[in-house]
Amino acid sequence: MKKALALSLALVLLSAGLCPADDAKGGPAAPPWPDPDRLTYGEIRFSPPKPERVVLENGLTLYTLEDRELPLVQVSFIVGAGSVFEPEGKAGLAELTGDAMRTGGAGKLGGDQVDEQLEYLAAPVSVNLGMEYGTGSLSVLKKDLEKAFGIFADILRRPAFEEAKVEQARNLKIEELRRVFDQPQRLAFREYRRVLYAGNPRGRLPEIATIASIGREDVAAFHRAHFFPRNLRIAITGDLSKEEALALVERHFGDWDDEGDFGTAPHPKPREQAPLYYYPRKGPQSTVIIGTIGPGKESPDFYPFTVLDHILGSGGFRSRIFQEVRSSRGLAYSAGSFYEGRQGYGTFGAYAMTKTESTGQVLSVLQAILKDARESRMPAQDIHLAKRAIVNSYIFSFTSSHMIAFQHMALEFQGLPVKFLTEYPAKIDAVNREDVLKVAEKYLDPDRWTVFVLGDEGRFDEPLKSFGTVKRIP
Amino acid sequence: MIRSRKRPTRAALGPFAALAAAALIALSPARLGAYSLEDRVQRVTLENGLKVLLVERHTSPTVALYIRHLVGAADEAEGRSGAAHLLEHMLFKGTTTIGTKNFGEEQRVLKRIREAGAALDRERMKGAGADESELKRLAQALKELQSEAREWVVENEIDRLYTENGAVGLNASTGQDVTTYKVSLPSNRIELWARIEADRMTNPVLREFYTERDVVMEERRQTYESVPARKLMELFLATAFTASPYRRPVIGWPSDIAFLSPDDLETFFRQYHAPGNTVIAVVGDIDAAGTLELVKRYFGPIPAHPPVPRRVTEEPPQNGQKRVTLAADANPHLIIGWHKPTLPSFEDYVFDVIEALLSKGRTSRFHRAIVQGKQLAEEVSAVNGMPGARYANLFMVSGTPRHPHGPDELEEAVYEEIERLKTEPVQKRELEKIINQLRAEFIRELNSNAGLASRLSYYEIIAGDYRYMTRYIEMIEKVTPKDILETAKKYLTEENRTVAVLRKQVKP
Repeated sequence: MKKALALSLALVLLSAGLCPADDAKGGPAAPPWPDPDRLTYGEIRFSPPKPERVVLENGLTLYTLEDRELPLVQVSFIVGAGSVFEPEGKAGLAELTGDAMRTGGAGKLGGDQVDEQLEYLAAPVSVNLGMEYGTGSLSVLKKDLEKAFGIFADILRRPAFEEAKVEQARNLKIEELRRVFDQPQRLAFREYRRVLYAGNPRGRLPEIATIASIGREDVAAFHRAHFFPRNLRIAITGDLSKEEALALVERHFGDWDDEGDFGTAPHPKPREQAPLYYYPRKGPQSTVIIGTIGPGKESPDFYPFTVLDHILGSGGFRSRIFQEVRSSRGLAYSAGSFYEGRQGYGTFGAYAMTKTESTGQVLSVLQAILKDARESRMPAQDIHLAKRAIVNSYIFSFTSSHMIAFQHMALEFQGLPVKFLTEYPAKIDAVNREDVLKVAEKYLDPDRWTVFVLGDEGRFDEPLKSFGTVKRIP
Repeated sequence: MIRSRKRPTRAALGPFAALAAAALIALSPARLGAYSLEDRVQRVTLENGLKVLLVERHTSPTVALYIRHLVGAADEAEGRSGAAHLLEHMLFKGTTTIGTKNFGEEQRVLKRIREAGAALDRERMKGAGADESELKRLAQALKELQSEAREWVVENEIDRLYTENGAVGLNASTGQDVTTYKVSLPSNRIELWARIEADRMTNPVLREFYTERDVVMEERRQTYESVPARKLMELFLATAFTASPYRRPVIGWPSDIAFLSPDDLETFFRQYHAPGNTVIAVVGDIDAAGTLELVKRYFGPIPAHPPVPRRVTEEPPQNGQKRVTLAADANPHLIIGWHKPTLPSFEDYVFDVIEALLSKGRTSRFHRAIVQGKQLAEEVSAVNGMPGARYANLFMVSGTPRHPHGPDELEEAVYEEIERLKTEPVQKRELEKIINQLRAEFIRELNSNAGLASRLSYYEIIAGDYRYMTRYIEMIEKVTPKDILETAKKYLTEENRTVAVLRKQVKP
């Protein structure tokens, strides 16, 4: 496996110097400089180290990678606990659980004592329960590992959920929600998520009322249900051997035999014939988002869709949305697209923030760019550029031991084989124009888009109804 | 207060790639003490004055490349605010050999665009007295020339070259003090960077100028005008400083940006992007000697420019509290600032310690007393050194009250903690905790090529010597409880402070 990856990376980095030269060069100002497209580069040989994987008897999976460069140890975990598993009416429970685990005391220590000890050791611990899963970390000097890891383990296994700290977490979250309305872009992406995932648990968002209804018992129950050895993966890297890491984890987690709920949630589906959603808000700028459900990370469509997204709007200044909306027309500062392949589905969106008076124009441009992608094949040169960019930057996924161990852990969590990492560059490289056209046809169907506009419609250059049926929220 | 270019980027491997990268910044390693880092840094000054810092780190075959110029918004002339930042945007537009199909032809159109743009701007400057039909005619003329020029332009070539070659973290930023161009590349591609950047420092072409000026207006709408907290910050700085250039927003005042011209930027470029005003840092999988040769080959021929004397308006002492209110349809927000000297004065180190005491982590005084104890605020934080470090600056506290508590209650609570600094000597354990944290953070930052390149180049350019960073902890260890008492008493006074408050006001 190690060899295969080394090989594929070496291959990729070598081939990069051999691109056909851009014919758009020349002119009277003949450069004293070489043509940047004709520079040649030496070969890179790199075999990223491979982490060791051990499964404890209780089912907890550990990834370790020794790295003696520095006297530090880094720990991360992934747990199958996210907001998709929240009960109805308790939106925000996952996030609050994570906050209260970190702040509400652990084992024999109260919340304030946990803070004091970790901060005196300069050993930060984080716990973040997101939408699909939770993650967290500990970073500590080797000399303090035993003590800090003990607290870390207690936070995961034996959070105390002190009533006062749960209340504080709840109050702070409520204040944060009150302040969402002060940040138009944040508000826009939050409301977009609600309509994109309408009918799916992912569309249920924390509200002041749902947060206010969450008590200590809810938080403790959510923790109990989802934190158990078979649902938890830990990566430890740095200044310790595999044996030391394993012994450490055995000592702190080996006697833990809880079972719980892996949780299931249906994958979201694209909306059919959704109306255009309009969120009225006064301000100098509108936020326009067009999005849909794309392929999951395990799908063969993941690779061509990644290339498609790069060309459309995530591949820097040359990507189409950026180029058209920003560079050519000066209509936005932020404009582009995003795509994230998740387990079983993906999320894709195109966006721009533009002055109120050019909202209609920007919406038209975004729609035209997306439609064009499914109506005509992308030029070979665009595909070539996107593939080279993705493959050449792939090496940055392996710039530290911890990143490498984390990648392996995350892949397994997502149900993907380790070879995903080694095959990724070759699979991107194999994408052709037809593949990209096919995924555009399949996923970028205007009847299955969700279009969202936040702004002040009275001052738009075009009424929204000229783009279709409008549904006003809230 | 650094402006960054928001650039769309692909999430390499879905959520986890970004996440792991974030984890990296938050967590990481070092047996590197101060002196061993100094042993690893090579510092060379080329004949034209360009300074180069090199560090070999062979963790992965990648390299981080930073270029910093000692120039920022603080150097702008009156009425030209936003010039440094707009120039940073424009330097992504290419050179005489990058981004053009035929520079000779293009140059002719560019010259006419410049004239047409100047004519239009002259008419626009008349404001209400401008002739509508003339405005229309001039705008149309500019538009036609812009389409003509487009025939010769290869758009976004610099970005394309980098992206295609696997760049990550390609970005630039402008602050009050410093302008930065940065990128990370696979380590076999350093020559591409040298080729592009040396050319950008020598032969930039300000093509697509008027469109980009509109982009910056959008940036202002997005990042200042749509965000009440940012508007409050702008108002706060404009109030705290009466004379210092730090009173102006980095992005510029809207009416200044609207009339910036290519000539303004060119003057600025010639004066300040010169080699003697520049520091380069290269950190990663390099052979230092070979890389230095490459840097010399490309950057060495850039002609030296005589240093421009900087006439800086100093902020006169403040002799009474200043208060200002922003009425906005948003939740309340509070900012307080006190004038103080900048680095490398000893007092600046003392303020770094005060900053940590007040707001570093959950055991900090603000968090314990105000967020957890009185529960008056969602967040309260202290920052030393706003909005820049080249000139005398501010120690700043900002916070968001928690409903139904208001900004006045929060302000009182902040002052209680400030008074404690003046009356109670800090306990030994609290100082130890801070030193432990700063030491661990220093070590963690060394584990990333980009982090190291960023800090080395920043301190080299701002403090004149990167060793400010390697000797930092030693200096912090010298700070005594008595220093803290005295510094707080001297600077954190009512007459030396400025208070800005955002109060909610719903417009009918």
